[in-house]
Amino acid sequence: MPIAEVIDSARNQGRTVLTEIESKQILAEAGIPVAVAQLAKTADEAAKFAENAGFPAVLKIVSPEITHKSDIGGVKVGLDSADEVKKAFDEIVAAAKKAEPKARIEGVAVQKMAPAGTEVIVGMSKDPQFGPVLMFGLGGIFVEVLKDVAFRIVPLEARDARQMVREIKGFPVLEGIRGQPAADLAALEGLILKLSEFVEAHPEIEELDLNPVFAYADGVIAVDARIVIS
Amino acid sequence: MTSDVQKRLDRALNPRSVAVVGDKKAMGYMWLNCMNTFKGKVYSVQVDPNEIPGIEEMGIPNYKSLGEIPDGIDYVVCAVPRPVAPRIVADCVAKKVGAVGLFTSGFAETETADGVAAQEQITTIAREGGLLLIGPNCMGIYNRRLGVRHSTDQEAGDAGSVGFISQSGTHCINFSLVGAVHGIKCSKTVSFGNAVVLDAPDYIDYLASDAETQVIAMYIEGVKDGRRFLASLREAAKRKPVVVWKGGVTTAGWRAVYSHTASLATAPAIWDAAMRQAGVVQAESLDETIDAVKALTFAGQTTGKRMGLIAMTGGQSVVITDAFEREGLEVPLLTAASYEKLAGFFNIIGGSYRNPLDAGGTIGMGFVPGNLQKLFDILEKDENVDAVAMEVGATFIARRMRQNPAMMDQLVEVLVSHKGRSAKPFLAIAHQAHVEDVMIELRKKLLDSGVATFGSFAAAAQAFARAVGYWRFRERLD
Repeated sequence: MPIAEVIDSARNQGRTVLTEIESKQILAEAGIPVAVAQLAKTADEAAKFAENAGFPAVLKIVSPEITHKSDIGGVKVGLDSADEVKKAFDEIVAAAKKAEPKARIEGVAVQKMAPAGTEVIVGMSKDPQFGPVLMFGLGGIFVEVLKDVAFRIVPLEARDARQMVREIKGFPVLEGIRGQPAADLAALEGLILKLSEFVEAHPEIEELDLNPVFAYADGVIAVDARIVIS
Repeated sequence: MTSDVQKRLDRALNPRSVAVVGDKKAMGYMWLNCMNTFKGKVYSVQVDPNEIPGIEEMGIPNYKSLGEIPDGIDYVVCAVPRPVAPRIVADCVAKKVGAVGLFTSGFAETETADGVAAQEQITTIAREGGLLLIGPNCMGIYNRRLGVRHSTDQEAGDAGSVGFISQSGTHCINFSLVGAVHGIKCSKTVSFGNAVVLDAPDYIDYLASDAETQVIAMYIEGVKDGRRFLASLREAAKRKPVVVWKGGVTTAGWRAVYSHTASLATAPAIWDAAMRQAGVVQAESLDETIDAVKALTFAGQTTGKRMGLIAMTGGQSVVITDAFEREGLEVPLLTAASYEKLAGFFNIIGGSYRNPLDAGGTIGMGFVPGNLQKLFDILEKDENVDAVAMEVGATFIARRMRQNPAMMDQLVEVLVSHKGRSAKPFLAIAHQAHVEDVMIELRKKLLDSGVATFGSFAAAAQAFARAVGYWRFRERLD
């Protein structure tokens, strides 16, 4: 679905926070590598999507009101069969209803589980002085506890992307430590530059998180995504 | 900035005629005294009969209004009380002056409804009349070459090469005064206060294209339009070094955020990112700003990080190395050819020459010029060395220099002549130690001769690392 249609449809529903599925549709449209997810309304549908996409599968609750999905048991990973997927669907919906009784549950997002890579976060927010800015950091405790992140003002040029990736203290992790292969830095910088172009072309986007992005020895992929529009 | 604004700003910053409106005895006729070095024509506008005789005693023609002056006016200093300011601004419009610097304060900076309204009033008059208004609440311009000053302590008469702009009048004046002690001569400076018509980007654009200005420095507290500011900085930094001293922490309006990115995007982090992107040097104090400007102005240009260090003693050799390595610079081994030459004459009793060169004994603390010259020549030819920094250890013989000033001149002569011949950046480091008067005099002599001289290893290393960072960014090496 074209970007404008996704945004219009959310606005028509009075929403500024796009669902993971909507966010990923938009990002895929913009040429940003994402793990595409499909919205399943029933357990059977979820199983069918998982079979088509391939196992292992990941299921996540889709609700505009629930932003911290894993905290309420709204995420199941490593599902290896149609039966496991069906069971997980029912458990996720039940958990969401219990935790947030008033939340509108649209369904469950089904995607093929991406192989584990080095987790990074790439995001965008708007600064009152400088407008849209991009952030880059390593995922997990690096961003949450150590706040080891780098920023650049949009639009970025190639040098900016190269510098921000190398500016964080955790950069050696990306170069490969303890026998891990080095992350594909060119692909990571490419994703950052694509994102800069994307947010520059879409001023209606207020905030954006790709968290996590998995960086591999060859390529990168955004596994989860969230977009907030004005 | 449109070329028209730029052209008119050029007229105001290089005036042939200046009018001071509202100067008075209670201020010691400060503004008219500031203009006593001005090479063009000075006029006064004052209506108070009690003030006029004092002005005429200074030999300055006084008029009752700007309109009465029988001459075009390139720059006006307006020092009237706030209630009179709108009328003077309107007179400036009618007179078609180059620009007016509004020393008058009591506007939006007071955070009162009255002040805000008065500011809106003068802004509207200036905008509608196409008047370049500097300020209000500012000290206006300083042009050293032409002798247009905003402090009677400022030097005048010869040209300078460093442009400075500042939201604060104090920092603007201090940069020119303290800078002058450190050999820095200003081309043009502007204290621009509340910036209601002309703002920082206008001045940055001007200085970027001003042929007289080789280095731009500034004191900035906040910007109204970050993107325009960044664009101006970026363009300026492509042409000449820019040093930005940021004061205050901007408190951006709080709002609810959903994302990680937004919660981590604090104002200081974003400012830092913007400055890195623009390729400017960041400084955190007046001293750091002056040191960075010295490194960029006097040290000489390099993208190399490998230092050849000369210290006077073992202890100083250790800490000078620490200081430069801490700033990301390197202190490599010299070439075999250099070691062979050093072995021929270097005094290794109480000294060593690995790099740093612990050379006090060999060069008699700087007073065996022949050997010092040899060290310079070896480092100059050494392919492993991009730049040379030397501890001027004159503290050991400061007492003798105090008795015999010729000794100081002799040392200065060796360093200045080395700098003149050398293709590599050269830094001298003269700590004030316990002989402040002597060392400050020595430092001043070196700086006045164009030798980049610093008061401590840490300051020299930081300033030079920042300068190298600028040259590397400009050459797209980082």
